[in-house]
Amino acid sequence: MKNVRIIPRLDIKGPNVVKPVHAEALRIVGSPEELARRYYEQGADEILYIDIVASLYQRSLDLEILKNVSRDIFIPITVGGGIQTVREMNNALRAGADKIAINTQAIRKPKLISEAAKEFGSQCIVLSLDAKRRPNLTWEAYTDGGREPSGVDAIEWAKQAIYLGAGEILVSSIDQDGTLKGYDYALIREIASIAPIPVIACGGASSLESILLAIDSGADAIAAASIFHYNDFTIQDVKKFLANKKIGVRLDP
Amino acid sequence: MIIKLDKQIEAQPKKVEYCAKCVVSNQRPRITFDKNGICSACAYAWKKHHEIDWEERDGELWTLADRHRSKDGGFDVIVPGSGGKDSAFSAHILKSKYGLHPLVITWAPFIYTDIGWKNFNSFVKSGFTVLTCFQNGVLHRKLAKIAFELKGDAFEPFVYGQKAFAFHTAIQWGIPLIFYGENGEVEYGGSIKNKDKPFESIGDWDTLYYKGAGIDTLLKAGREMGTLTEEEATDGAFNLYRPPSLEKIQKLGAEMHWLSYYKKWVPQENFYYAQKYTGFAANEEGRSEGTYSKYASLDDKTDGFHYYMAFIKFGIGRCTSDAAHEIRDGHITREEGIALVRRYDGEFPKKHFKEFLEYIDITEKHFWEVVDSYRPPHLWEKVAGEWRLKHQIS
Amino acid sequence: MRAKPNFLIVDYGVGNLYSLRRAFQFLNASVDITEEPAALRKADAVILPGVGTFRAGVSGLTKRGLAEAVREFATSGKPMLGICLGAQLMLSRGFEFGEHDGLNLIPGKVTILERLPDGGKIPHIGWNSVYSSRTPWENTIFDSLPNKFSVYFVHSYILEPDSPDHVLGLSSYGGLEFCSAVRKNNIYGCQFHPEKSGRDGLAIIKNFINISTNTA
Repeated sequence: MKNVRIIPRLDIKGPNVVKPVHAEALRIVGSPEELARRYYEQGADEILYIDIVASLYQRSLDLEILKNVSRDIFIPITVGGGIQTVREMNNALRAGADKIAINTQAIRKPKLISEAAKEFGSQCIVLSLDAKRRPNLTWEAYTDGGREPSGVDAIEWAKQAIYLGAGEILVSSIDQDGTLKGYDYALIREIASIAPIPVIACGGASSLESILLAIDSGADAIAAASIFHYNDFTIQDVKKFLANKKIGVRLDP
Repeated sequence: MIIKLDKQIEAQPKKVEYCAKCVVSNQRPRITFDKNGICSACAYAWKKHHEIDWEERDGELWTLADRHRSKDGGFDVIVPGSGGKDSAFSAHILKSKYGLHPLVITWAPFIYTDIGWKNFNSFVKSGFTVLTCFQNGVLHRKLAKIAFELKGDAFEPFVYGQKAFAFHTAIQWGIPLIFYGENGEVEYGGSIKNKDKPFESIGDWDTLYYKGAGIDTLLKAGREMGTLTEEEATDGAFNLYRPPSLEKIQKLGAEMHWLSYYKKWVPQENFYYAQKYTGFAANEEGRSEGTYSKYASLDDKTDGFHYYMAFIKFGIGRCTSDAAHEIRDGHITREEGIALVRRYDGEFPKKHFKEFLEYIDITEKHFWEVVDSYRPPHLWEKVAGEWRLKHQIS
Repeated sequence: MRAKPNFLIVDYGVGNLYSLRRAFQFLNASVDITEEPAALRKADAVILPGVGTFRAGVSGLTKRGLAEAVREFATSGKPMLGICLGAQLMLSRGFEFGEHDGLNLIPGKVTILERLPDGGKIPHIGWNSVYSSRTPWENTIFDSLPNKFSVYFVHSYILEPDSPDHVLGLSSYGGLEFCSAVRKNNIYGCQFHPEKSGRDGLAIIKNFINISTNTA
């Protein structure tokens, strides 16, 4: 039975974890070290660590903070935020990252995906896709922390990125982000239907049912932020619920 | 020749200095810097976050609300607004927490944006009665045109009406309590005259908001320009842009309060609140032009030009304003603000440019003539045929 | 009292060295990272980490003169632990981006994960169980672990040791059973990442530390 991964997402800005809504606003919700530790101890399968302002402020990910966060966390950490080169990826991997997520720079220079895949292997490269609904069941990809429309169709871009060597897709709905109103299930379905690689759904988790719905829509892994940061649910709440629904999850021994 | 009526420009200091804490410069009208180079808005923000006793202020709000709350469920407070994050927050919290019954009044934007209209409707749908004034389509546009030429800001007629309409409605409906959101002067570095007061007097209006020329000056100039006919200039529609007589206001006992006096005003928090309770959505097209922000001032296609003209006149664009208040509220650091300003400030709002030109009925050529006429020589220079700011924050 | 062994993590240009080192430090082992071939001679135990392609791995080792040093270490009888790509490099041949020679410490090849009978996405990413083939786990790095324990995998290629005697652990994905851990004497290879597998992963590393302590 394949296990669905439950992945808390940390949106990082400087020394803080923030929680935007519609990929906007930067309310501080906690410290990266504390939240990462809390989720590790609660049985998270992985941690998503994304600096959401690096591209916007045109600066690099802070590796010192990453080192501190990843220090005693012995589960995989996917790191993203303003990463532009293979060298920066290597630095992040050496500072505690296990996988690298790229968004803005990948859209600007798609070749980066194939370069990275060649260097580190596809399984190390996660395409981070921030998608905004458009009419006629289409979505547009956004860059710079959800602030710049790229003009690129999200589904077409996903296909291209997969072709170039991305090993996983993290698909986040800007419309649903932070709203606690459920995921964009149509978006998850579309991506899942074209992706032969694992799909991590993000954006909008509200209830335990909403997580189940996201899995039914085709997600291989679930990312969530608000429900965990605001203590609506613990990781175990989610896993136990899913286990009861006969969904494979790694339960803490 | 272009006659200029904006008196603010004459008051600008010739040496450009930046606030040591935020990103605003001393070119902003009415702003002051203390001996440490910290601007008045930052000084107020410090008080806001560290000194003001908000519990006490909350108590004052309860007292005020208790005094005005209707016993029969009738409207007891006027909340001017557009369904944007600030008025949504104000209307909703006055209703849900303080038990008041808001009648929301909207002075329509010049040209509604899609997101603005959507947010307005979400707001109404969430449970509010809104009276909207759609200004006379011909006259409002002409005012905008005149204001653009003579004041370098097509936006101005909006400001007149926004205030006056609230008072007219108050008198018509017999509702003395009017609640604005923020005291913009105090929060953004204008006059700090009223920082400790919950409301302002009408006498303040002229200096603070009309840049030294009320609507009548515009009308007169409009007639002289040939933009307005005699008949148009004396149209009753313009009464809506003038406050009612002081007598009528006093008879009603009308009071205009700022919610930002009673509650710690944090626009970002208003966004979270409005998103949660009135269905407010951030800008769907991504960041607004000239800034990084997606939640502020979304509903008018002409907004960009208001900010752009401020950039021309004062070297202070939309991004600077957004970044400054986010720095003051602790959402971003000064370094981050500087990075944003250097990246986005002064970006030309081209998305709605054609529509704007059509709206105020001028040619592109003349638009740039007017713009260039407002560039103070101590701020701008021409380098290789391109205009460039002499000073930039770094 | 036994001397505290010193562990050496081989740095050959790609890899999540930091998390691996942290795991050993967390378990109070004395650990260093090196790309110096000479340093391997003085090590009590060597760890070959790995995030990357087979080709890049081979190239990284060869460029630094480490391939020889690692092979030499392997003949010493001292413990070695290969992880993910590191484990794959220990075998004879790999077929990622062309055919390449591995270190040949354990006869076998590394092939692409495909043709899953029940379907399933590639790469194999996520938590999955490891269970025993017929090799007992006592006194190995899986000593005292439950019969089926959960660890973190992220790979598109699998270990195919020639001899079933070298298969230490098995896993199943998409209906395909594959080798998830190898062992030949004191040489161990894990396809998964013990340093990323929470408590059970740390237990595996602890076992490796104990084995190294006893061997030192």
